[in-house]
Amino acid sequence: MSDAYEPQVLAFCCKYCAYAAGDLAGSMRLSYPANVKVVQVPCSGRVDILHMLKAIEDGADALYVAG
Amino acid sequence: MIIADRKPLEEILEMIADVDNIMLVGCKGCVTVCNVGGLKEVQILSSSLKIARKKADRPLQIEEVLLERQCDPEYIEQIRDTYDRYDAVLSMACGVGPQFLSEAYPGQRFFPTVNTKFMGGAVTHGIWEERCAGCGTCVIHHYDGLCPIARCSKSLLHGPCGGSADGKCEVSQEIVCIWDKIVLKKMEQGRLEDLRTFKPAKDWRSARDGGPRTSIREELVQ
Repeated sequence: MSDAYEPQVLAFCCKYCAYAAGDLAGSMRLSYPANVKVVQVPCSGRVDILHMLKAIEDGADALYVAG
Repeated sequence: MIIADRKPLEEILEMIADVDNIMLVGCKGCVTVCNVGGLKEVQILSSSLKIARKKADRPLQIEEVLLERQCDPEYIEQIRDTYDRYDAVLSMACGVGPQFLSEAYPGQRFFPTVNTKFMGGAVTHGIWEERCAGCGTCVIHHYDGLCPIARCSKSLLHGPCGGSADGKCEVSQEIVCIWDKIVLKKMEQGRLEDLRTFKPAKDWRSARDGGPRTSIREELVQ
């Protein structure tokens, strides 16, 4: 794998905690890597195996659930 | 209901190694209830197969279909217009499904994606146990609702045998000795004497020993 490899990471974030924390980080002018794409979910319990499989199928290299 | 387990992904991938376009057919019957071949499992298998084939650099096209049942011709008919658009058809139903499909559409190739195991029920969430062996001559009323045909490793009509110890079967510590349970239940109910009644040898011709079986309901036959 070349040094230029940059994995595409998908983050499923709970509206009430992880996503709110992300918002707060934004207002504090803190940045996160551009290869992390955030998806807001109403609750981390909403994340299903199919969401994760579809993400990988459509090109995500990694994903995480935060909540 | 009929209980099945999904085949390992590698085995399914090997079956369809030479095809690039498949129809994946789920069933809303027993396999939906035992979480192995319903809508969700169709979607999971479809996605898993696509990911594996994409990784192997030979993408796979999949049409996902869910039939009411795969053990009735009227539902099998629902794919008549589309079944031949694919290199192969994979069934997520029990062993009956791929056979009914292949009898209805002789020109197509059908593959099973599950291993059909037994007739049973869910004893707790995620655990199914065998309860019926389909012997064709039910005798559970003699044993207080506990079937020694399906649940005794030897299908004994008089038990327990010498292999019963501490309520477990000698075949495996995982297997409960149903004869131990039958005797305990008879003792609790004060009807242990029932077990002194001699049961003649079972006629196994009504079971699989008589060859493949048919059930005919005259009033329903047109």
